[in-house]
Amino acid sequence: MLSADFLLRNALIGSVVVGLVCPLVGVYFVLRRMIFLGVALPQLSAAGVAFAFLLKSMAGAHQHGEAAERALALVGSLGFAFVGLVVLAALERRGRETLEARIGIAYAFAAAASILFVSADPYGEAEMTHLLRGDIVTTTPSSLRLLVGVLGAVALVLLALRKELLLVSFDRDMAVVLGKRAALWDTLLYLLIGVTISFGVMTAGPLVTFGFLVVPPLAARLMTRHMLAFSIVAAVFGAVTAFAGFFVAYRFDLPLGPTDVALASTGLVVVVALRGLVGVARVGRIRR
Amino acid sequence: MTALLRLEDVSLGYRGRPVLEHVSFGVEGGEFAALLGPNGAGKTTLFRGMLGLIPVFTGRVEYGFNRRTQPPGYVPQKESLDPIFPLTAYEVVLMGAAARVPPFWPVGRHQRRLATDCLARVGLADAAEQPFWALSGGQKQRALIARALAVQPQLLLLDEPTAGVDPGAEAAIIDAIARLNRDEGLTVIIVSHHMRLVREVVRSVIWVEAGAATKGTTAEMLSSERLVEAFGAGATRPL
Repeated sequence: MLSADFLLRNALIGSVVVGLVCPLVGVYFVLRRMIFLGVALPQLSAAGVAFAFLLKSMAGAHQHGEAAERALALVGSLGFAFVGLVVLAALERRGRETLEARIGIAYAFAAAASILFVSADPYGEAEMTHLLRGDIVTTTPSSLRLLVGVLGAVALVLLALRKELLLVSFDRDMAVVLGKRAALWDTLLYLLIGVTISFGVMTAGPLVTFGFLVVPPLAARLMTRHMLAFSIVAAVFGAVTAFAGFFVAYRFDLPLGPTDVALASTGLVVVVALRGLVGVARVGRIRR
Repeated sequence: MTALLRLEDVSLGYRGRPVLEHVSFGVEGGEFAALLGPNGAGKTTLFRGMLGLIPVFTGRVEYGFNRRTQPPGYVPQKESLDPIFPLTAYEVVLMGAAARVPPFWPVGRHQRRLATDCLARVGLADAAEQPFWALSGGQKQRALIARALAVQPQLLLLDEPTAGVDPGAEAAIIDAIARLNRDEGLTVIIVSHHMRLVREVVRSVIWVEAGAATKGTTAEMLSSERLVEAFGAGATRPL
C-alpha cells in the first residue's frame, strides 16, 4: 500500500491527511463543549454542495468537467459552512436559546435542505452520491495537492496561534482583560473550522468528517494531561485510524467511511476500557 | 498619590438596563480595597465594568497606566473555568506570562521562568506539574492569583477569591493577597461577601447597594450602624 505504484495512493494520502487535521480542529469542539456542531456543520456543508449543484442545473450547465464540478461544490460547501457559523455565532451572542437547541435546529435545517436541493435537481442524485459519500477513491493528484496545501496551512495556523486560541477558549474574560479581541479570534477559529469541514466533506463525506472531528479528541482527552500532547495525540490517533481504516476497507472490500468511523470508535472504547483498568489497579494498589 | 483607577459618573448594566448609576470614586496606587455589599446589589456588575468586560452606558473609567502594554491582573472565580481543559497548574500560569507575547511568536525562556517564579510566590512551586483540576480549591485559587501576577500588573482585581474554599485555605489566600499589597505595593481590589475576613486587611471599602456605590475607609463603611442599616440587627455579629 505504501509503494509509489499503488493505484489508490492519492486516496490513501488524502484519507490520512483528513484523519490528521480534522482532530486538530475537533480539539476545540470538545474543549468548547460544542461537539454537536461537529455533526451540524458537515451537514450544512453537504447542503451547500447540493445547493451549488442545483444552481448549476437551473442554469442549464451540466458538462463542465471534474475540476469545475469540484470547484463549484467547494464554493457551495464553504459558503454554507461559513453562513452557518456566522448565524450560530450571532445567535450565541443573543443567548436566548441553549447551544443544543441552536445546533439541533441547524442540523435539522441542513438535513432537510440537502434532501430538498437534491430532489429539486434532476441531475443532483448522481452528482451528490459521488461527493456526499466522500468518494475518496476518485481523489486526483491535483485535488490531493489542494487538500494537502489547505489542510496543511490550517494545521500550521492552529499550531502557531495555539496560545491565543487556547486563552480565548479557556478564559474569554481574561483574554478581553489582556486586550485580546476575543470576537476576532473566534472568527479566525470558525474560519479554520469551516475550511477544514468543507475539505473534509468534499474528500471523505460528512460522516467521516464528523467522526474524525470528535472521536480522536475524545480518546486523546482520556490519555493526556497537557494541551499540546492533547492535540498531538488526537491528530496521531486520527491519522493512524485513517490508515488502518483504509487498509481494512481495501483488504476486506468494505466502504471506507463507515470503516474509518467504526475503527475510530473501537479505538475510543479500548482507551476507555484501558483507563478504567488503570484506575481499578491504582485503587487496588492504594488499598494494599 | 495618583489614582490608578478612576470612575467618573459611571452608569453600568446589561442589555441597556442600568444596574448602577452615577458611580464616582478613585483607587490610589498601593491601596487595598474591598468591593462589598448585599447579594444582587451589583458588585459583579461594577467589577466587570472596572475591568472593561461590560461597556459603560455613561461616564468614564480611567486607568492610571497603559492598559494595552500593562493590563490589570484579573483573578476570576475558579468555578467559572471549565475542567475539560487538560492543563497543569504551570500551563495555566503560563497563559498570564505569555500575555504580551505577540501572535505567531513562541513562548520564550523568559516567560517560562516568570510563570515558575509566580507559582513559587504563591507557594505552589511543587504543584506546577499537577493537573490544574486535581488541585484543592485553595490551590486552584492561588494558581489563578499566580496567573494574574504573571501579567506583571500594577492593579490586581479578584472576584471572590475565597468562595468555595475551606476556612484554612481562606485565611491563606487572604494572607497571600495582603502580603502582595504590603510587601510589593501592588494595588488590590477584591470582591467579597466575607466581611470578617477582609475587614482586617483592607484599608478602604467600596460599598455597593441600591443602584449606587460609595467609597470610604474600612472603619466608616463597616461601622455597626451602617451594617445594621444594610443587613438588619443580626449584622453586627461576626460574619
